[in-house]
Amino acid sequence: MSISKDYRKELKDAAGSERIRLALSRAIKSYRVNTNNALTKFPHTLKMAEEVKLIKEASVQHMAELARKAGHNIEENRGKSYVAKTAGDALKIIGDIVGKGRLVVKAKSMTAEEIRLREHLEEAGNEVYETDLGEFIIQKLGQRPMHILSPAIHVPREDVARLFSQITGQKLQPDIDTLVATARELLREKFFKADVGISGANVVSADTGTLFLIENEGNIRLATGAPPVHIALVGMEKLVPTLEDAFKVSEVTWRYANYTVPSYVSMISGPSKTGDIEKVTTYGVHGPKEFHVIFLDDGRTHLAKDPVLRQALYCLRCGGCLYECPIFGLTAGYFGDKYFAGIGAVWAAEVTGNMEKAASMAYTCLTCGRCRVRCPMKIDVPEMILALRKSIAEP
Amino acid sequence: MKKNERKLVPPGLSYIADNIRCRDNILGLPVEARAKWAQGLEFSSDRSTIFFAGCGYQYSSMLEPLVTLVRTADRMSINPDLPVVLAGIPKKMGVDVAGMYSKVLARDESSDSGVLRDAVSVLKYLGVNTAYLGENEPCCGAPLYHTGLQREFAANAEKAVARFRSLGVRKIIGIVPSCTYALRTLFTKAVPGYDIEVCHFIEAVAKKVKPGQFRYPGNIKVVYHDPCQLGRYMGLIDQPRQVLRAIENVELAEPEWTSGEWSTCCGGGGGFEVVFPDMSQKLAEGRVRELVDTGADIVATQCPGCLMQLKSGLKALKKDKIEVVDLATLLARSMNTK
Repeated sequence: MSISKDYRKELKDAAGSERIRLALSRAIKSYRVNTNNALTKFPHTLKMAEEVKLIKEASVQHMAELARKAGHNIEENRGKSYVAKTAGDALKIIGDIVGKGRLVVKAKSMTAEEIRLREHLEEAGNEVYETDLGEFIIQKLGQRPMHILSPAIHVPREDVARLFSQITGQKLQPDIDTLVATARELLREKFFKADVGISGANVVSADTGTLFLIENEGNIRLATGAPPVHIALVGMEKLVPTLEDAFKVSEVTWRYANYTVPSYVSMISGPSKTGDIEKVTTYGVHGPKEFHVIFLDDGRTHLAKDPVLRQALYCLRCGGCLYECPIFGLTAGYFGDKYFAGIGAVWAAEVTGNMEKAASMAYTCLTCGRCRVRCPMKIDVPEMILALRKSIAEP
Repeated sequence: MKKNERKLVPPGLSYIADNIRCRDNILGLPVEARAKWAQGLEFSSDRSTIFFAGCGYQYSSMLEPLVTLVRTADRMSINPDLPVVLAGIPKKMGVDVAGMYSKVLARDESSDSGVLRDAVSVLKYLGVNTAYLGENEPCCGAPLYHTGLQREFAANAEKAVARFRSLGVRKIIGIVPSCTYALRTLFTKAVPGYDIEVCHFIEAVAKKVKPGQFRYPGNIKVVYHDPCQLGRYMGLIDQPRQVLRAIENVELAEPEWTSGEWSTCCGGGGGFEVVFPDMSQKLAEGRVRELVDTGADIVATQCPGCLMQLKSGLKALKKDKIEVVDLATLLARSMNTK
């Protein structure tokens, strides 16, 4: 049996869902309009994307070295840095820092999703809150994210109203303003009561040990700023040599994520500190006293050696390709494993090691190549898919 | 790759690959079936430039009922993997596969193989003379490549190139996008020293076409659907539009967002229609919606797979008044109409 039965059924059900079709067709339209506007207003982005591609190509060849350098600088800034070889190592490191019986607030992170960090911490006896609104909805629905940036892309407002009514015990109308205000109220106290805040990072500059976090909601600022401990989990492919490189990567990322400029970009290089009393440096003023950064390998170093598949590591996670994928437009994240669509098949094969899912996904891809047209890194997904199929058909 | 399992290849694709292996065409049809489309046409005896017909247009009339069959199976929640369907279900559903084969063989002029005749006459009209290898035409093997059987594809390519060379072929004019892409780009990578010049029909036409040569009988609005391999893979985006604009009485329409390099796949890419028949149908309907929203009377394209998909999409949406036509046919209709 080539395409797994469950996967085939999931895809078929999703493709038959009028709701998914409607939600996605609206999202695709607004993505195209917004991105077009953002690129028209900032036309230099196209050239900058070419530059960023060179930065990523070079960085992916030196991930271990960049992780060492970034780690050294983070330690110099009085943070703690770790390199986790496997998902299991990362879970152990983070589990040990968090402990049990703690309240944890989490920013959205695909890397955390990749290693199932939330589930791991919950199983260890912690209370974990997703604080990105979409991710919060998904968590409460007990589902899995359907898009890398908009995890609840397939959930219409009526469903959110029903969910939030259950949580609050009040009858809420499907009015988006009301629903957003409800989420704000539900999560507000959690940020300040939390023992630990967890985030990912969009890009990290090795020369300063600085994490860049791009967002619009403000939940990342609160989750990484309010609790006494901040833990960041970062895939090694997010490392670039310099601050200047990281700025460029950030700008290209948000522009292709359809923003002229996001509301917030946080740059975090160490724990909170002050020297205001007698110039004695003291840690943990208003922000976290502890700052831990875990660089995750988990197959990335191995992937970087493959001349075709390594392109997957150049991905900025802007999500643009997903809006151009015809299959994604029908089925949302059901065409996915931890990561979605054609490029997701490479991550499934090489990083999460779900070969059966990877094969099913490799043969789901149309190899139509429109994702490549959108991609700021010009990642050749059809080429990668054909390489995967070769390794399946002619091992 | 952490673990490899050949059994992960979808059976529908293995079926096509087997046919190429055994019979040198995607459907495993006997060699007599080939070249039937060209009966009565006159070709040049100089084989330095050939017209490459490929499988798609010749066998699409055959593929259509098969794809309808697997789609029906998929809708009935029967596993649509082709060999399974071919094994017994068609009989249960009252479909006679053997009969379908023979019907195709008996048919003198099926609708889509007419595209090949149209293409040849358009080339002639423009003064481009070609030879045709007929039963000696090798299969390009592109489906092998797309299935992942790339070593086998390379071996097939070696054989094909040896045949081209022995027959004195120097230049190929292709018509099926996936064959043309394979002959042009994939062969170059697979066969060392490969030096046969390959162009697509539309490039040959675009090079020759002059104002006033083509005139459609009646005013029509045409929307052009870019096949993935022609547009994004080979970059042939301007040429079909240039040719369409050169036809008098044709008004060219473009879908919002989704034309040229942004064209939406018809849902037939990479063998998808035999692996996910039902989803493939939905994609066809979605693409047709984008195209007919332009208010066009005719959807023009240049790929046997796209033709089949778009027809199927139009049928499902009950857009009976809109016609899907290959660009070669549109051109043939516009010749000698002055």
